[in-house]
Amino acid sequence: MPHASQPPRAPFPATRDPAVLADIARYLRKQVVRMVARTGQGYVQQGLGAADIFTTLYFSELNLKPQEPAWEDRDRFILSTAHNTAIFYATLAARGLIDLALLDTYCEDGSPLEINASERLGPMIEATCGSLGQGLSVGAGMAAALGRAGRPGRVYVVLGDGELQEGQVWEAAMAAGNWRLDNLCLVIDANDMQVEGHVDQVQANEPLAAKWEAFGWRTQDIDGNDIAAIQAALRRARDERGQPHCIIARTLAGKGAPTLEGILGHNLRLPADIAARALDELDMQEA
Amino acid sequence: MPNDHLAVQDFTDRSGQQAAPRHYGEALLAAARDDARIVALTADLTGPTETDLMRDAMPERFYQVGISEANMAGMAGGMARCGHIPFIHTFSVFATRRSYDQIAMQLAYPGLNAKIVGFIPGIDTLLGVSHQAIDDIALMRALPRMRVLEPAPGQVAHAVREALAYEGPVYLRLARKSGGNTASTYPEPVDGITEIRQGGDGLLLACGLMVPIAQQAAEQLAAQGIEVGVAAVTTLKPMSAKVLALAKATPVVVTVENHSIIGGLGTAVAELLAEEGVCVNFERVGLRDTFAYGGTTPYLMKTFGMDADAVVEAVLRQRRRFQAGASNAAKPRDSGNK
Repeated sequence: MPHASQPPRAPFPATRDPAVLADIARYLRKQVVRMVARTGQGYVQQGLGAADIFTTLYFSELNLKPQEPAWEDRDRFILSTAHNTAIFYATLAARGLIDLALLDTYCEDGSPLEINASERLGPMIEATCGSLGQGLSVGAGMAAALGRAGRPGRVYVVLGDGELQEGQVWEAAMAAGNWRLDNLCLVIDANDMQVEGHVDQVQANEPLAAKWEAFGWRTQDIDGNDIAAIQAALRRARDERGQPHCIIARTLAGKGAPTLEGILGHNLRLPADIAARALDELDMQEA
Repeated sequence: MPNDHLAVQDFTDRSGQQAAPRHYGEALLAAARDDARIVALTADLTGPTETDLMRDAMPERFYQVGISEANMAGMAGGMARCGHIPFIHTFSVFATRRSYDQIAMQLAYPGLNAKIVGFIPGIDTLLGVSHQAIDDIALMRALPRMRVLEPAPGQVAHAVREALAYEGPVYLRLARKSGGNTASTYPEPVDGITEIRQGGDGLLLACGLMVPIAQQAAEQLAAQGIEVGVAAVTTLKPMSAKVLALAKATPVVVTVENHSIIGGLGTAVAELLAEEGVCVNFERVGLRDTFAYGGTTPYLMKTFGMDADAVVEAVLRQRRRFQAGASNAAKPRDSGNK
């Protein structure tokens, strides 16, 4: 597995072992810091915060064939907060869905790794989001279509907590709840952060769980930086039928690098010296 | 206390008039019988969009999404990505303005095989400014990969087939009842155009329910000895090259549309003619950069300068300019863009 003195050889296979998943998450965090440090741009805080969600989804939960990204019966993943790409691309590369070398072009002119994920990268981008609030509708449409066709593929959507301010989210919530789309699983990356600061200062959203339950969703409120907890919540979502599932995953911005933890900066620039310190901190956790 | 004596059915129209025909609903159902991928979504307007036929015949392929147009467009994107051909239905104004970003990002950008079907085109409604789609053609035309169709009366079934023949996003602009001559039906278009009438003195290019109005104007002009051609433009995007050929053969072109003169049929024709260097005396009949209000269609068409008389005036005005040797480029008309 990844180690400071021995460069990791991605892609990694899927695993259900939480200890291995933790190693992968740490590797992905380092990738995030490296990718963002190249130009200073690219949503480092969100990426570090969501690393455990991405790791668990892509390495332990999603039914995928990395060699065949458009496989008909794959589970679908939609990143509605499409700007959170450093962690998304790092994960896709580590899972073998895109070329690892592409990560070095992140946010460069002409690169398909745009700061907002677009499907021009390939079929592993299931929908082009970024205009906030749209991903859950697309996911609900996929879930309805797959369900009607009797296909086994499940649909996973990640929304941000700030994004919940978009009215369309609640239109989709109502439809999915009414239609009991139990092949649909929403993960809310609740990092308390949006452009203008803390979500609660911009537009308070609690009680979040009660809202989703009221819309007909089975809801779990978990620590989004606890891989075992994420695994358990996703397993429950897969097993319990009859309703769509909402997992409110409470994440810490900058998680994993104490230098960055808890700094709520939506569009933080990452200077080289701070990036180096963050990488050192992540390396130290491996020892 | 609940009323147990009367039901909704007791309050329906008792005038004895036949219900409006449901050519679209029948065409959609026929298409759905032929292609198992077709599904229909509606946002609380099943009856007015004629999708009750689909709902009743194949309920498993009909989705009532409630009053949520943005969500409907997004869901259609998800369905299209999973092998369905979704047809989404509401009034034209909500189908376009209210869900523009969702259509742009979730249907047009990925070029998905989904069809947006809007009813109540232009000012054709009692319901007033909130329900009047005066810019929907402009909005949909501006989206890359989007095709835009507006059939004339009698061409609805063809338009549905045409929409399906293109494996990508299509905006279908439909009217239930024509504001003009409701008895008129027109033959199927070829290459996006139906030539209805020949005439060397000018050309009327019309779409949708303005086609019978243009035809009426042509008849009024003929009574004065002026023979103008009339063509129904049913494919508004991409604009047929036939428009170019027809325009080259005439000194006067007047477009007739139930839409703002900005961004719709007139604009599309002007763009084509200007870029191809075709110089004609040209005028757009349509809503002249103003909002309207509710009323019966003949009343509104007259009030907003979109009836047959207005078309006749436009032709006569441009003929006078042609006869005076003026061109649009040389001497802009004062009332052109109020």
